[in-house]
Amino acid sequence: RLTQVRWSRYNPSYIEPEVSKELYEKPWEELSEEEKEKLELKAVRPVKAAPATVSSSVFSDPMISKFTNMMMKDGNKVLARSLMAQTLEAIKRTQLEKYHKAPEDEKEKIECNPYIIFHQALKNCQPIIGLSSITKGGKTYQVPVPLKDNRKRFLAMKWLITECRENKNRRMLMPEKLSQELLQAFNNEGPIIKKKHVLHKMAEANRAYAHFRWW
Amino acid sequence: MAAAAGRVLRLGGRWSAAAPGGPGAQVLRLIYTTTAAQRKNVGASGPEKYTEAFIKKQIEEFNLGKRHLANMMGEDPETFTQEDIDRCIAYLFPSGLFDKQARPMMKHPTEIFPEQRKIQWGEDGRPFHFLFYTGKQSYYSLMHETYEKLLNVQKYQDQLTAQGLPSQKEKRNLAGGRWLTKIELEEMLLEKLSDDDYSRFIQLLEKIVTLPCGDIEEKYIQKFSIEVPVQLQKAVIEPLKYDERGVAFSTGEGTRKTARATAVVHDNGTGKITVNGIDILHYFPVLQDREQLLFPFQFLGRVGKHDMVCTVSGGGRSAQAGAIRLASANALRSFVTEKEVEFMRQAGLLTYDPRVKERKKPGQEGARRKFTWKKR
Repeated sequence: RLTQVRWSRYNPSYIEPEVSKELYEKPWEELSEEEKEKLELKAVRPVKAAPATVSSSVFSDPMISKFTNMMMKDGNKVLARSLMAQTLEAIKRTQLEKYHKAPEDEKEKIECNPYIIFHQALKNCQPIIGLSSITKGGKTYQVPVPLKDNRKRFLAMKWLITECRENKNRRMLMPEKLSQELLQAFNNEGPIIKKKHVLHKMAEANRAYAHFRWW
Repeated sequence: MAAAAGRVLRLGGRWSAAAPGGPGAQVLRLIYTTTAAQRKNVGASGPEKYTEAFIKKQIEEFNLGKRHLANMMGEDPETFTQEDIDRCIAYLFPSGLFDKQARPMMKHPTEIFPEQRKIQWGEDGRPFHFLFYTGKQSYYSLMHETYEKLLNVQKYQDQLTAQGLPSQKEKRNLAGGRWLTKIELEEMLLEKLSDDDYSRFIQLLEKIVTLPCGDIEEKYIQKFSIEVPVQLQKAVIEPLKYDERGVAFSTGEGTRKTARATAVVHDNGTGKITVNGIDILHYFPVLQDREQLLFPFQFLGRVGKHDMVCTVSGGGRSAQAGAIRLASANALRSFVTEKEVEFMRQAGLLTYDPRVKERKKPGQEGARRKFTWKKR
């Protein structure tokens, strides 16, 4: 090979930018040792430009951006973003309806913030253990394997999106279906939670092959 | 004279001459050596390609050619540096080739012919180095030496604790240096290394550095680390200008892909932003672009305090937004303290984004996508 495949236009010495304002508002004395070292390193190295999806405002959330990108088709970011906004609005509407109909003592338990619902729903959908196919002695076994954080998040998001795209009525729009799925996942019910439990059961059933894993 | 200069000239580092060394063989046979892009260590692979006598002859010819060149150009042969040689060759043989290595060059033979390993056994066939039969003698002897230093450091540390003195830890400048890369290490040792070997060596070096008394072996470790020159070009921040009404303003420029933008940020404003004479709500209907425009202001906490008038041309929707963001961040540097400028830099607001569309390659459908693989 003449050139490497994984390369970027930046020099390898460039560091990722840190956008959140809180780190910069802390005074010097409150920083821990590691953070001080990191700051020193940052002062010397050049920094990459912040991408267009990221901003320091309260409304930009890395999880939401990741989910929007996964929902995007053919690079139509405008559509994906509007769908996401409509989903969050739909969640808020349903929760507000429930809130106004509920009796006084249950009003505090209803969660109205769509961002919190989204994060909690994703967390509930994440599998803890996954299966990986390992070929040994001619036969392929499904071996239970611990998953990395990134992989868990990716699987949760992927399941959500495929579920919403396939199992819906012809007339139902994506934001409505997504909001329903998210609320169900928030309450630990629904088809995606079921899928996660099925995966866990398969992993439990294949416990015998766990020693095939070498990493 | 021209012939002498011609013999010494080499067409870049790609084609090198080898004299077979036989009697009367003056014919220069061109051998294709590896290009700079592949950077294989020629010195480590295989036995000697050039004899010492050949190199000596090349050096003499080079010096002779240098004096001839100086005479030709009317300069003093005694004080003729390498820069002068490069200048004169560029003048005599102008080349429009893009690859610098492909242009005609005249350099000292040690820079053109890479260093090689000498023959490692004597006349009786007995190897000189005791680790010859390991296959990678210089690598293993280096590992032995480094481990010896580690043991020294540990012994010194034990001595200090036995005497009850505290072990001093002076903080090494982490940010200032980097370790040698695998290729540089291979060039130093004149031997091929595997990635595993290289990572083991670096781990050993890091271990010595992290020990409290590691500074004793500082000199030895410095051989393997390179000082990264801290050349953060402190761009000159222009002072604020004042217009007729006495309001402070400053200008900034920014680019992204093909979009060019200039922004004029006024003080004492209401947060109105105008692009090419049109309000941003009409020019950028997409929320993401408007977020990007307001990003520098929001980061500094000055959302409603400045007015901005910008002009932008070229590029697409997102590229224009990115260009204006960079332009406004550059303009805001004049309004803000140095510490905040440093914070903006660390947030990635002041760097030019070099990402552009990757070219399509021949034999593939796009930049990365390959044609559909068909079995037959």
